[in-house]
Amino acid sequence: MTRPVLEVKNLSTSFFTDDGEVKAVRDVSFELYPGETLGIVGESGCGKSVTAMSVLGLVQRPGKIINGQILFQDRDLIKVSSEEMRQIRGRDIAMIFQDPLSSLNPVLRVGFQIDEAMKAHDKVAREDIAARGVSLFQQVRVPDAPRRIKDYPHQFSGGMRQRAMIAMGLSNRPEILIADEPTTALDVTVQAQILELLRDLNQEMGTSIILITHNLGVIAGLCKRVVVMYAGEIVEEGPAEQIFEAPQHPYTWSLLRSLPRVDEKKHERLRSIEGLPPDLIAPPPGCEFNPRCPFRIEKCFTEDPELEVVAAGQQAACWVTMTKAYAEMGAATITDTRPGAASGVRPPADLLQVVADLRTLEEPAVLEKLAEDPDLLEKLAADPTALEQLAEEHPAVVETLTDE
Amino acid sequence: MLTRGTVIYIVQRVILIAFTVLVVSFGVFYAVHSLPGNAFISEKLHGESLQAVLHSYGLDRPIPVQYWDFLRNALHGDFGQSFVIQGQPITPLLVRELSVSMMLGGAALLITIGMGIPFGVVAAMRQNTAWDYSLTTFAVIGYSVPSFVIATLGILIFGLWLHDLTGGAFYYPISWTGTYGNLAELSVPAIALGLYTSGQVTRITRAAMLDVVQQDYVRTARAKGLKARIVTLRHVLRNALVPVTSILRPLIVSIIAGSVVIENLFGIPGLGKEFVRSITAHDYNITVAVFSVYAALIGVANLAVDLVYTVIDPRIRY
Repeated sequence: MTRPVLEVKNLSTSFFTDDGEVKAVRDVSFELYPGETLGIVGESGCGKSVTAMSVLGLVQRPGKIINGQILFQDRDLIKVSSEEMRQIRGRDIAMIFQDPLSSLNPVLRVGFQIDEAMKAHDKVAREDIAARGVSLFQQVRVPDAPRRIKDYPHQFSGGMRQRAMIAMGLSNRPEILIADEPTTALDVTVQAQILELLRDLNQEMGTSIILITHNLGVIAGLCKRVVVMYAGEIVEEGPAEQIFEAPQHPYTWSLLRSLPRVDEKKHERLRSIEGLPPDLIAPPPGCEFNPRCPFRIEKCFTEDPELEVVAAGQQAACWVTMTKAYAEMGAATITDTRPGAASGVRPPADLLQVVADLRTLEEPAVLEKLAEDPDLLEKLAADPTALEQLAEEHPAVVETLTDE
Repeated sequence: MLTRGTVIYIVQRVILIAFTVLVVSFGVFYAVHSLPGNAFISEKLHGESLQAVLHSYGLDRPIPVQYWDFLRNALHGDFGQSFVIQGQPITPLLVRELSVSMMLGGAALLITIGMGIPFGVVAAMRQNTAWDYSLTTFAVIGYSVPSFVIATLGILIFGLWLHDLTGGAFYYPISWTGTYGNLAELSVPAIALGLYTSGQVTRITRAAMLDVVQQDYVRTARAKGLKARIVTLRHVLRNALVPVTSILRPLIVSIIAGSVVIENLFGIPGLGKEFVRSITAHDYNITVAVFSVYAALIGVANLAVDLVYTVIDPRIRY
């Protein structure tokens, strides 16, 4: 096996806010191999962008990398000096961002902004910079490149701006290009063009790409290998085809199920994942996905699963895994994705006992009890099943709870 | 740079300024002539002899007729003569006084920009440090303490306490010879005039810098591997200058208005001092002329700010 160009080991990044430590990235490890396109998927706030920013050393206060190693060219990027890191940024590891409309400086000419990226490093000879700017523009297929390069960003469309961003990212022939949601802000036809461009550049120039997205369709077209993140952790990792065919983590399974399909019956409700991602200041005990998981078992509430090999080259952090869920719970046929639906496993007995007790009380008494015990309130809020049971007796109480 | 559109825009604005000056001059002319009293009334001069003097100056004619006369001459660059300083033609007097005021105002503007922007940049880049706190405090004092208080303090310190040391270099001699001040004479009044505006500029620059730092394109600039200094000056400051330019417009007006107070306090023989003197002395033609010059000055300053915009922000085109 070839050596990886980038190796992230046990990376943890936190933001120290007034409300507490937001553990945005926890114990994340992955490798990127030469010429590979690696996908990182997950919903908003799962830590995928923070992971990328950590690699580039761009995490700003109050954020801080608190643990781990980022190995690149025999160096640990967490330990190098800020000047060394500056030289790596843009020259060896480049990044393009989600919103091309706001990612270019509005008061500087596009060409200038590309040249500037080259002038910041010594990789491209000074006298070649202007010519290289134009040829990069042609490479990313901006029509009428020599003229357009003198324009300002506001004279560009969204797709053209993202092309300019890519040209900027590639200007120093970096070994790694990190693309953070490169197509999210663009309309569908332009999305396809940009993705095709990335694929071609990856093949022509051999640049390794880390593609960060919440869109599984984007991953399917471009990536050989996928990392799935949830609540700051990697929950599943493996070859793209395998993950799409046989996802093992219930989160990946739910994500794939929630993709709208053209061949499905019209008027069918779009399927979503019930609930919200957990609070990263105080994540729930056990597996972070347990409040939303249809397949949870008792163990999920107490112990946090580690990544384990579930198939050739595929790892998942789950006590159940989908193969078992299919076999034992008849999960293949389930359409109800509500928490605990397939397994019927409820939250820990003590919480349900409390709920049962609350149900026997009058409404004002319930409110009083909840006001006295913020801990209980939090536990309740994190558990849809418990909330549902409480709602049967006291719908008004639950309504105010969920509003908060 | 200077496109056809821009030239047309400038011409339109100049016409508008001329029209404004015309309206202002008529309004002021009408107002001062309607006020009770005049330049000649005194214990010795009243009754028929006063009427004779007024008649000899043409002041007994209807106001519109007098204005028409004034305007015709003014368009030829002649504002007439002073009623009070006998035989003193107004135009050369105003030209001399305007040049003094321009020096004072220019120095104040220089302090506004030259001090306000760097202070704001440093405060923003060192947010929540001793640097930030001291510069912000300085700015708050600058725009909270009235300029006449600062001016009085300046006179007290440099004119009185340090008089032996400075040898009177910091204020105008009472018997003004007609040449305008050297740098030392200007510096204290210019600081008294510019402290308010530079405090405002510091405040706006700091806020704008902190806002721009959060923008995506600054993150892009960092991700390119640019040096921190280049990111700050080329990417953050360039964009932060847009709101700073907007505040310059009211600040220039406040410098012009403030100069009236400052010139009188320091005894600087500029337009502001003339302005007050001419009003109290009923020296009609001077009052109208000074008002017109102020109106034109503010109009031109606003136009200049609008043109600076196009240089700072390429998205703005006229």
